[in-house]
Amino acid sequence: MQIKINNKKYKTENEETIFGVCARNKIKIPGLCGMKDFHEGVCRICVVECGGRLMTSCNTEIREGMEIITESENISRARRINLELLWADHAGKCATCKKNQLCELQKLAEEYKIENFHFVPRKGEMTSREELDLVRDNWSRVVTENENPCVSRNSEFCVECRRCVNICPEKKFGFNYRAGDVVVGTPYEKVLDCGFCGECVRVCPTAALTDQNDFFKIIKDLDDLRKFSIAILDWEISEKIFDQIKNITAEKDLKKILFDLGFEKIINLEEKDKDREDEIIKNIKTDYAQKEKINPKNIKTFFISSKIHKKAEKNEHLDYILSEREAARLVRDKEKMIEGKIKI
Amino acid sequence: MKNEIKIITKNWGQINPRRIEEYISAGGYVALKKFIEKMTPQSAVEEIKISGLCGRGGAGFSTGVKLESVQKEPASSADGEKYFICNLDESEPGTYKDRSIVDNDPHLLLEGIIISSLIIGAKKTFIYINGNYRKQAEILGQAVEQAREKKFIGEKILNSKYNLDIEIFSGAGAYICGEETALINSIEGNRGEPKMRPPFPTQCGLFGRPTAVNNAETIANIPWIILNGGKAYAKIGSKKSPGTKLFIINGAVKNPCVAEVPLGVKLEDLIEKYAGGMQEGKEFWFAQVGGSSGRLVLQKDLKMKMEYDRDGKIPLGSGAILVVDKTMDIHELLLSWASFFRRESCGKCAPCREGTFRLYEIAQRLKDGEISERDKTALEDILWTLRNTSFCPLGKFAATAFSDAIEKLKLLQKYE
Repeated sequence: MQIKINNKKYKTENEETIFGVCARNKIKIPGLCGMKDFHEGVCRICVVECGGRLMTSCNTEIREGMEIITESENISRARRINLELLWADHAGKCATCKKNQLCELQKLAEEYKIENFHFVPRKGEMTSREELDLVRDNWSRVVTENENPCVSRNSEFCVECRRCVNICPEKKFGFNYRAGDVVVGTPYEKVLDCGFCGECVRVCPTAALTDQNDFFKIIKDLDDLRKFSIAILDWEISEKIFDQIKNITAEKDLKKILFDLGFEKIINLEEKDKDREDEIIKNIKTDYAQKEKINPKNIKTFFISSKIHKKAEKNEHLDYILSEREAARLVRDKEKMIEGKIKI
Repeated sequence: MKNEIKIITKNWGQINPRRIEEYISAGGYVALKKFIEKMTPQSAVEEIKISGLCGRGGAGFSTGVKLESVQKEPASSADGEKYFICNLDESEPGTYKDRSIVDNDPHLLLEGIIISSLIIGAKKTFIYINGNYRKQAEILGQAVEQAREKKFIGEKILNSKYNLDIEIFSGAGAYICGEETALINSIEGNRGEPKMRPPFPTQCGLFGRPTAVNNAETIANIPWIILNGGKAYAKIGSKKSPGTKLFIINGAVKNPCVAEVPLGVKLEDLIEKYAGGMQEGKEFWFAQVGGSSGRLVLQKDLKMKMEYDRDGKIPLGSGAILVVDKTMDIHELLLSWASFFRRESCGKCAPCREGTFRLYEIAQRLKDGEISERDKTALEDILWTLRNTSFCPLGKFAATAFSDAIEKLKLLQKYE
């Protein structure tokens, strides 16, 4: 089949979507809800124009002779309004947000120069008591859950993109309530209880799903000179970390980066250790206590791994489990501290 | 009124809806016998196509074409199953035509359902009924049982090769489940929200099988067409969309009613002749055609013809007509529309979920008489994005009445 995109001809294969063709030909179309293999078409940001009508590119299959425009006044208006609507329901606490500068909503907001709270009434504009009740009612549905050991949930940040719903291999998430009250939640709003593979945290575009951790304690222990901090790197984690921090640091040596963060010793696990990692980790503290002649109580072990379900299995041999995202966050905060932008 | 043509309402008030014998003695189930003895599914579909019958749920899609496409669809699965669904999830505010059909003549509907199911080759049929229609579900359940005893449903219907089972499926009263893909999701046990089309339900519907979803009123026309032929039906009413239609006339009229009237009738006549004109001392302001999602008709357009027409300015929708007089507090009405859509949006797509919510907020401020400059641009933006980018028709409907009111009734003028 042949179609026209922005007045240029392109060859396409059967059953491809507009988004697929554009991605293959490096034509940029923004989107918030789609990901590999799942295209729900719910954010309505990836709209393109075809025959004078707006349609979502991610789930519209191409037809012979389509003439598609990917940038126009109407398209950017639609994207802008829909982003503004999403933002109006978003927490907007960027400065303290765990996902600051990694957030997809924030990036799009910046790109489309949106007015963040265009649709939210200002204090002086609220007229009746009902209005206040409505706002209160809306906020009462916010779900924050930190009771499970691995995933921290906060629906204030959620944009209802359904990535977590689609990707979860155990189908733990779903929608509760309807209309503006919709909230991504667990069945009967129980505490999340699953295998904690961490896929939902990986795909979440905002900070609605993040790694559960006591970040300030980690930083305190790292900065404490009396404490001997050992980083244990899982066997294929370094690429993942670099993937996360590629925009943040020019440094290419992971060892140096980690030493800068305050780790005293770095241990790399190898592929052959895959089945024995618990055993290895178990011996680390006693080994170093003998070798370096320090009190085992002053040794802190940090396991850097994507297996966030390990967070549930903390014990005296293993103090912290950090995902690649949290390691990247440490790096990011350090960089900023050096630049003098923030204080930790 | 002379020369009235009654297709759906012919038995209303004449027979006891709870007794199948009365329906049979009034000439019921003759169409089913004729279909089984003298017709093939192909010839029956041809008759329906000739009749020009189109969907009465609101979209006005040709029923014959829809049934034919399911009939011709090769059975995609190994079991060769196809489904027929009767859409009785009537939840448009001010609409109660389907409910009246069940209340007065359930067997007419049932006969239509059986014939349509056999036409497309379905062995299993669902009647998706609004969860609030408890009494109607009970009447239908009784009707199905009676028809089963008389061998109109079940195995070897009237000793023919046809088999059919009918199940009444009660929804939970959600407006969105009247949309066919959401309805299918609901029967499958999923959350009631629309699915992407294509694939259309006619190719890949309920449980992935070819499925025809038809409105109850549409189906109630089918026995008449089978009995009297498509040509006779095509002569009734307007050329563009033949047949009769149940109109529900509400509001500031003397005599609110459900009336069966040939399509192509003027709106003016509906109000004057069938509903007895305006109430004493009330002055006509506008009429809303098609429920909460309908458009507004002002005095100058009252001569418009009521028919299903793709290019028509005023879509008929469900056929509900709300007549509004000048004493009506329009802001109250706007708020009721906004609150309806805020409540009934499924929450799937961003513009509808957030847009209807913000629309409700603005409607509230509008009612309090204090909207700001920001609200005005926000209102314009929301209505635009609802119309152009929402996932399913619900979002588009949410904007129609609102934008019509603002445009035609010039509501924002005093803020300029």
